[in-house]
Amino acid sequence: MDASLSKNGRRLLRGFFVLVVVFLYAPIAVLLIFSFNNAEVPAFPLSGFTLHWYREFAGNSELRGTLATSAIVAAVSSVGAVVLGVLASIALARRRFRGKALVSALLLSPLVIPYVVFGIALLLLFHTLGIPRSIVTVMIGHVVISLPYTILVLVPRLEQIDVALEEAAYDLGAGPAVTFRTVTLPLILPAIVSAFLIGFTTSFDEYAVASFVVGTRATFPIYLYSALRFPSQLPQVIAVAVVVLSVSLLVVLGAEIGRRRAERALGAA
Amino acid sequence: MSARTEHGAFAGTSRRGRLRARLATPGLLGLPLGWLGVFFVAPVCIVAAYSVDALSLFPGPHQVTLSVWRDFLHGGVYLHLFWKSVQMSLVVSTVVVLVAYPLAYYLALSGTKRKYVLLLVLIAPFLTSYLLRVLAWKVILGNQGVVNTFFAWIGLRAADHPISALLYSRFAVMLVLAYVWLPFVALPIFVALENVDQSLLEAAADLYASRLQAFRRVTLPLSLPGVVAAFLFVFIPTVGEFITPSLVGGTSGYMYGNQIVDLFGTGFPDWETGSVLALFLLVVIAVLTGIFARFLRVGQTPAR
Repeated sequence: MDASLSKNGRRLLRGFFVLVVVFLYAPIAVLLIFSFNNAEVPAFPLSGFTLHWYREFAGNSELRGTLATSAIVAAVSSVGAVVLGVLASIALARRRFRGKALVSALLLSPLVIPYVVFGIALLLLFHTLGIPRSIVTVMIGHVVISLPYTILVLVPRLEQIDVALEEAAYDLGAGPAVTFRTVTLPLILPAIVSAFLIGFTTSFDEYAVASFVVGTRATFPIYLYSALRFPSQLPQVIAVAVVVLSVSLLVVLGAEIGRRRAERALGAA
Repeated sequence: MSARTEHGAFAGTSRRGRLRARLATPGLLGLPLGWLGVFFVAPVCIVAAYSVDALSLFPGPHQVTLSVWRDFLHGGVYLHLFWKSVQMSLVVSTVVVLVAYPLAYYLALSGTKRKYVLLLVLIAPFLTSYLLRVLAWKVILGNQGVVNTFFAWIGLRAADHPISALLYSRFAVMLVLAYVWLPFVALPIFVALENVDQSLLEAAADLYASRLQAFRRVTLPLSLPGVVAAFLFVFIPTVGEFITPSLVGGTSGYMYGNQIVDLFGTGFPDWETGSVLALFLLVVIAVLTGIFARFLRVGQTPAR
């Protein structure tokens, strides 16, 4: 006998699971449907198929500019977060030092700070220092936000790796830099890639902190938020939404499958 | 921890090696801690300085005072709004955990072969754009939105009598927040249930416990840390939320986070009061996190 579920219980839970998945994906499906609908307002009844909104979005240089800006901000800030995250994770996973619990709490604390509080705090910092707001200030904030995520991905991976491999490199005369480059880095590369992707998607989608420290050059979420206030742009925004959601779903699924494969390959080796 | 003794043994092979290992720690931690010091800790200290008027938006003579804090704690308006946000957030977190628990239970304990695939299906929406998922609900719930025009179309309701409470209401805010956070919450509960030792359930069954008894006395208590973590994972970000209420909340869905944003906005900026509100929220969340820190580690490998 299965101690945790009866046959009927399992059937019931499966039905519930399906219902919730439908609830989760239905709004995304609604966006998909109305992105092809030939009407200014997303409303029933549907009034015909069109690619007009996608064409309009493709021809909207302001919108494409914000997508490019966000891609730059996301790339730079996630590389920064990964570099800081690798340094911190090696210290946390490989070194003994006093106050480790405190250090690790501080490194992870951006996870729980409300973004509205962090946003105004950064705003006040830049205001006090007289630093003008720009995409650089957004990048600075996004590095802080992404850093704990990279640590959460990297530390468990480092702990899986047998320390003996690094010791062997040291015993053979390799310095810390060579050991890291030839032994540690290749082993944690899959984790670095997922950390980068997490940082990238976090930054690409981040509105709250960016809204306080962004300059005149808007990121995509900033543009999106202001576009939501103009109904005439709605169908176009929906078309963009579909593209962005599809791409991010593909990236997420691809990254997860890739990570699984890489770790299985490394585990088998 | 075995890795540590191994490491110690390795460091002991040469004095220089040991020295290098010790010196390397500040080198490793210097940059990350420096970054957080300048761009995370210092900004929060500046907020604190504004909250007691040590710094001010308007130049001129001013002295350190607790009067803004006093007004905040006695005025009632802001605390009332804070309490309203807490209540909304509590409802959202509770509903979301209650819905996610059976999902996680199904994935972890039903013996389905594709549980990781199904888990990914559940979580994937969380990894896509937050703003766009809120946008979807704006399209769905509006007076001229999908639900109302659909009802009008099939004749359930007259077109000029839409259900206007759908959008710009407290209900809309809570619905959207629950939608946004639901996928994420299943994860910590799933991890906790996965770690429940199956032989305990078999033992319970051998001792003639019914499934319900086994669940109530074995599975549920053992998965409780995951439930608490899941609850906090939703409560902490939603209590200070301002994006969703500003997009679908209207005036009745206005939350504490919106008040903070408005105090720093272009209309009637009051950075001192805004700083007090922000710091108060931060303190409440820091205390909560401190109390429940051990639950928040569920599903993560704590670095120690």
